[in-house]
Amino acid sequence: MSESPSRTRQIPCSGKLCRNLFGPVDHEQLQQDCQELMQSCTQEAQRRWNFDFITETPLEGDFAWERVRGLDLPSIYRPSGPWGREDLGGKRPKPQPSSPALLQMSAQGDHVDLSLSCTVVPLTPEREEGSKAGTSQPTRKHKQTSMTDFYHSKRRLIFYKRKP
Amino acid sequence: MELLCCEVDPIRRAVPDPSLLFDDRVLLNLLTIEERYLPQCSYFKCVQKDIQPYMRRMVATWMLEVCEEQKCEEEVFPLAMNYLDRFLAGVPTPKCRLQLLGAVCMFLASKLKETIPLTAEKLCIYTDNSVKPQELLEWELVVLGKLKWNLAAVTPHDFIEHILRKLPLPKDKLLLIRKHAQTFIALCATDFNFAMYPPSMIATGSVGAAICGLQLDSEDNSLSEHLTELLAKITNTDVDCLKACQEQIEAVLVNNLRQVRQEEQQRNPAKTVDELDQASTPTDVRDVNL
Repeated sequence: MSESPSRTRQIPCSGKLCRNLFGPVDHEQLQQDCQELMQSCTQEAQRRWNFDFITETPLEGDFAWERVRGLDLPSIYRPSGPWGREDLGGKRPKPQPSSPALLQMSAQGDHVDLSLSCTVVPLTPEREEGSKAGTSQPTRKHKQTSMTDFYHSKRRLIFYKRKP
Repeated sequence: MELLCCEVDPIRRAVPDPSLLFDDRVLLNLLTIEERYLPQCSYFKCVQKDIQPYMRRMVATWMLEVCEEQKCEEEVFPLAMNYLDRFLAGVPTPKCRLQLLGAVCMFLASKLKETIPLTAEKLCIYTDNSVKPQELLEWELVVLGKLKWNLAAVTPHDFIEHILRKLPLPKDKLLLIRKHAQTFIALCATDFNFAMYPPSMIATGSVGAAICGLQLDSEDNSLSEHLTELLAKITNTDVDCLKACQEQIEAVLVNNLRQVRQEEQQRNPAKTVDELDQASTPTDVRDVNL
């Protein structure tokens, strides 16, 4: 075990409790089902928030996603690592512009930048009309492929829950 | 020179917080939100094809034993069972995966409730290495996703102190009552019949069963007459429901004791039933070393 002894429980496992209850486990099947279930979780989240969490792009739906510049954030949310905290506007050196944000996240450790906030879009008739003409345009604009360039790790979603 | 003995319980606990325990708003909020964390359906009927009720009991018993051996906090086991039931209420699962899920749920519950949580490696050893730590970690994410990261479920334990402080109980018995109530709660968690009951009802029934089992109610007449009514009022439970629940809890205890006796008999077939009866059957719930 990797932990230092002081951090680990030192109670050994007694033999009689170490048992396989329901027979052999098919590890390949396990892996496959794990991926399928993870995918269904991601898709559910995508539907729920109309946001593609893999590519970090807003999609059409009840929530209007909007980029948040990090400037008015408490300093605790700003990265203090090699990228500095002053510049969240995109001038910072881009590590791997083409890779999805999730990959960057794992590559860069636990560093956090801020990215999107969202509000519920009221579904009033005028709004729906508007969404066809006007609002969907900016949303589309927000499908920034470049957006991931600015995110390095944490993501804060500010949202207001829909009333059931 | 003074010598100091520094050997102390390595687990540090927060002291009971009076502003949480002596405030009825906390109890009211717990009662308001508890149902959100119940499994959505009786999954043996509508979701699971492979898993049978007796398999849940098997995995639950194993989980309870692991938690006991590892000296987990009391809430860990019921919380882990809550995760398992909520997962199974949504995801059809083959039986060969049940133990992995049980281990994952203990892993999560332990992380949420303990200062020194169980490790993935240790849990895998308990599955006789039929599961690898890496798999446990991957399925941890799956379970989290399916539970929507909603881990801070309300458990019967959350109600115990709130109930106990409102009952006129002798101070010197409190520790014992609490211990017995906790054991009843663990027993309930191994039994699927209780999985859909609100935690407040299980807590109230368990405290009731503990007080009756210790026959404290017969010592104190003021308690015996109103105990059930008093308990029902504390958690806003229907009196008849509560009575039924308490009886069910007592029945589970009797069943469990009988099972333990049978197992012992199988292990020592040389002994006659009479001998075993004398040797291991408690004549009274008070004698049971819970």
